[in-house]
Amino acid sequence: MKKIICVLGMAVVLGLSQAPAATARDYISIVGSSTVYPFSTTVAEHFGKTTPFKTPKVESTGSGGGFKLFCAGVGVQHPDITNASRAIKPSEKQTCAQNGVREIVQVKIGYDGIVLAQSKKVPAMHLSRRDIFLALAKEVPDPSGAEKTVPNPYKTWKDVNPQLPDVKIEVLGPPPTSGTRDAFLELAMQGGAKSFKWLKELKKKDKKLFKKIAHTLREDGAYIDAGENDNLIVQKLEANPNALGIFGFSYLDQNADKIQGAFVDGVEPTFENISAQKYPLSRPLFFYVKKAHVGTIPGIQEYIAEFTSEKAWGPEGYLADKGLIPLPDEERSKMREVARKLEVMPME
Amino acid sequence: MESHSGIAAVVKKTLNRRYRAERRFRRIGLAAVAVGLLFLAVLFTAIVSKGYTAFQQTHVLLDVYVDPDVVHVGNLDSADYQGLIKASLRELFPDVKGHRDKRNLYKLVSSGAGSILRQKVLEDTSLIGRRIQIWVPADDDVDMVIKGHVDRSLPESQRRLNNKSLAWVDALKEQGRLEKRWNLTFFTAGDSREPELAGIWGATVGSFYTLLITLSLSFPLGTAAAVYLEEFAPRNRWTDLLEVNINNLAAVPSIVFGLLGLAVFLNFFGLPRSSPLVGGLVLTLMTLPTIIIAGRAALQSVPPSIRDAALAVGASKMQAVFHHVLPLALPGMLTGTIIGMARALGETAPLLMVGMVAFIVDIPRGFTDAATALPVQIFLWADSPERAFVEKTSAAIMVLLGFLILMNGAAVFLRNRYERRW
Amino acid sequence: MTTVGEIRAANPRMTCRQVNVYYGDKHAIKNVSIDIGRNEVLAMIGPSGCGKSTFLRCLNRMNDTIEGCRVTGTITLDGQDIYDPDLDVVLLRAQVGMVFQKPNPFPKSIYDNIAYGPKIHGLARTRSELDQIVETSLQKAGLWDEVKDRLKHPGTGLSGGQQQRLCIARAIAVSPEVILMDEPCSALDPIATARIEDLIHELREQYTIVIVTHSMQQAARVSQRTAFFHMGDLIEVGPTDRIFTRPRHSLTEDYITGRFG
Repeated sequence: MKKIICVLGMAVVLGLSQAPAATARDYISIVGSSTVYPFSTTVAEHFGKTTPFKTPKVESTGSGGGFKLFCAGVGVQHPDITNASRAIKPSEKQTCAQNGVREIVQVKIGYDGIVLAQSKKVPAMHLSRRDIFLALAKEVPDPSGAEKTVPNPYKTWKDVNPQLPDVKIEVLGPPPTSGTRDAFLELAMQGGAKSFKWLKELKKKDKKLFKKIAHTLREDGAYIDAGENDNLIVQKLEANPNALGIFGFSYLDQNADKIQGAFVDGVEPTFENISAQKYPLSRPLFFYVKKAHVGTIPGIQEYIAEFTSEKAWGPEGYLADKGLIPLPDEERSKMREVARKLEVMPME
Repeated sequence: MESHSGIAAVVKKTLNRRYRAERRFRRIGLAAVAVGLLFLAVLFTAIVSKGYTAFQQTHVLLDVYVDPDVVHVGNLDSADYQGLIKASLRELFPDVKGHRDKRNLYKLVSSGAGSILRQKVLEDTSLIGRRIQIWVPADDDVDMVIKGHVDRSLPESQRRLNNKSLAWVDALKEQGRLEKRWNLTFFTAGDSREPELAGIWGATVGSFYTLLITLSLSFPLGTAAAVYLEEFAPRNRWTDLLEVNINNLAAVPSIVFGLLGLAVFLNFFGLPRSSPLVGGLVLTLMTLPTIIIAGRAALQSVPPSIRDAALAVGASKMQAVFHHVLPLALPGMLTGTIIGMARALGETAPLLMVGMVAFIVDIPRGFTDAATALPVQIFLWADSPERAFVEKTSAAIMVLLGFLILMNGAAVFLRNRYERRW
Repeated sequence: MTTVGEIRAANPRMTCRQVNVYYGDKHAIKNVSIDIGRNEVLAMIGPSGCGKSTFLRCLNRMNDTIEGCRVTGTITLDGQDIYDPDLDVVLLRAQVGMVFQKPNPFPKSIYDNIAYGPKIHGLARTRSELDQIVETSLQKAGLWDEVKDRLKHPGTGLSGGQQQRLCIARAIAVSPEVILMDEPCSALDPIATARIEDLIHELREQYTIVIVTHSMQQAARVSQRTAFFHMGDLIEVGPTDRIFTRPRHSLTEDYITGRFG
């Protein structure tokens, strides 16, 4: 028993002697979007292996959480880079500016496609954004054509659109905290809603009401909140061929032997189509750099250089292997210049 | 009044009923245990059957010519070792032409192969200019094919490896250049985006540092608090309030402690984010109530006659507690502590708040380095798109379960070893 | 209620005057006055719950450990008030030892059980002095011959009677003046009981002993004076042979003749 106490005592001493040495930071701290996380970590790892710098630390906090941490201030305790699956909002810029983060470099790194995937056991669905909106919105335009909304009456895809198969509407998707869900609402649901003329006009008149109609998903079991784990959705789709799942393109890319993407507005979600901006449900991905940290924290510029090198983000680069859809050539070289020169984005 | 034999008959009747009830209860109890064991068995089988393959990793045998034009004394650190690996692959398949095909060929071996070669050359510079045979890990897609996790009959477009790549894999296999070997990397490496290079050592070390902080703070604090509350504190409204609060804290969701840690340790004290120091402090807050409650229960279970005996020979209150009561209570307290530690080892939610849920490749070397922990690693891998991470996840769960069994086993051992010593 | 009989002793070791004990609202000991003479064995008898154990625990202030217990009146040891705030309770307990109803040796070796008291009080300067104290105490308790070859063995491994003698030896080891015994034989068989009673006889030459007992025969066998308690009152005190032959109070008579209790 005495021995145990001795060991514990030593542990205490060891623990305390190590504690106060926490001022400097010699590695890059990255936070932000879970969509960009797989790409950011891959670059970080390559960077750590091929340069004398330490491997950056990457936290997956979501885009919003990332900006919150990023904009909290300048200094070693705050992150240097934040990843985002959407552009920074004006309100976030304001917070940043208030906390002294005035010089931010915005780097667009490529695209992510939102796919509606289904099992390979059934033929691929051909959906339009209008179909998606009608199938999943809580309130839909009155089928009789009147300019008002009614609670969603549709049970099967055939009810939505006679050309679609007669199967129950069942869509597994991410929870409200997810950036993927935000993007889905914005790209698919709003896009579908805007296909109704009176709703499009409503958007101009009463943006709030329009958003409420387009952004409220059904709660009667047709849309199933499947949690953040996308691998789980893949497994569920395999088990249930009638269901559709919403997630990022990289999951489709990695599991192409089990699931397939539904066509949206006649375009299949493929690498090429998303890259060429043909596929309607795609969104740009970004990372943001705190310029004030460049020079203080070692390796930031080198990390950016690695990320924006052809072997990383090019069409043949290793990020493409991970499912990143590269920017078109011209935009890529423009962005590389921005990154190289650390061109600060306007704050207003 | 009934006759004697009549009473016996009545008793006998109820007796039968009583025995029946007992047998029924036993059967129900047994069934409950059986169902519990069944679930456990299903869980373990699911994890083990998914995860055991991760302990092996497909390796490729390459003949690499360590070209003195590429590697020389001046650039040992930064030479293009991956290029040498690529060259050796080209030699193996000389008829592969075209940019795209070559790229696919290179993808058969892990992108970490170069650094393995580099390590070898750094260890023994006399290899420069020689042709050496070296086993390097295959890419995770190849690994999945070899382990049979990929359906080869699917159309080409739906597979990660195309027909040509599969043909190369088969050719390598025929030449005996593909082999499943013990996956040492899994136990020695930190996290990686490439499944074949990912390991749990970084997370294990992170967990170790975190738990060391937790143990070295929560055990002395918890013991001191338990001893004071149980033996010295007066019983009044304040101590009652304290007791209610401690019992409450033990049931508070762990994420709340994470938020507290974020507010206090990170934002107020400015301790380094993602460090085992902060993680350990947060877990200390979480385990303290458990340890205090277990400690008090252990102290209560010490018979009062021991206290009386000590006091009666003239020991002071403190001597009675420290010489007699505490040693008897210590096994129980240690058991409580270990169970608290085991809970801390399996905790993810509070670590999320203090930034320990992060991609960290380098093995932490101290209490203030960025680190992650075992359950966090499981969480991160479970969420990774690459197929090969599925088995890695299960394997990591097995390792975590192993540690938990070890710790709980230690608790049982301590209890048996010390509790009945006299 | 006034006590019948002679509460005074000629040359008292301890004197108790108007002692009252309260457990919260409960009045457990009512106005008890009694002397405890030098080198005498005082037996305290009475039915269960009469307060005899409570009173015993006042004599070395073991009642201090019970929450809500309040003691009034005066109790002196060699003229010194033991409830004086200046008096150190640790010192008092070294002078007034105690043996409990159930044998409660420490879960340590036989040697350590005896040596613990002398060690914390600093009674032995060297190891050999300590060895000497252990040996004498065990001899006085009549246990030496039985355990001298296994001093390192656990004290809890002894038989019940041996354990109780070990506890007596432990009390003796700190050289007390008074030894309090709280029903020391109630958990023992008749043979072990007889040994303890013999021991009490021997110890009387050096110590003052107060024994609480349920057994009137035991009181008659070991004590010189007997005090009869009933419902917190000290009913009658007197020389043991007189109490058992010519009780003056009717309650005492009823009790010793077995009409209640």
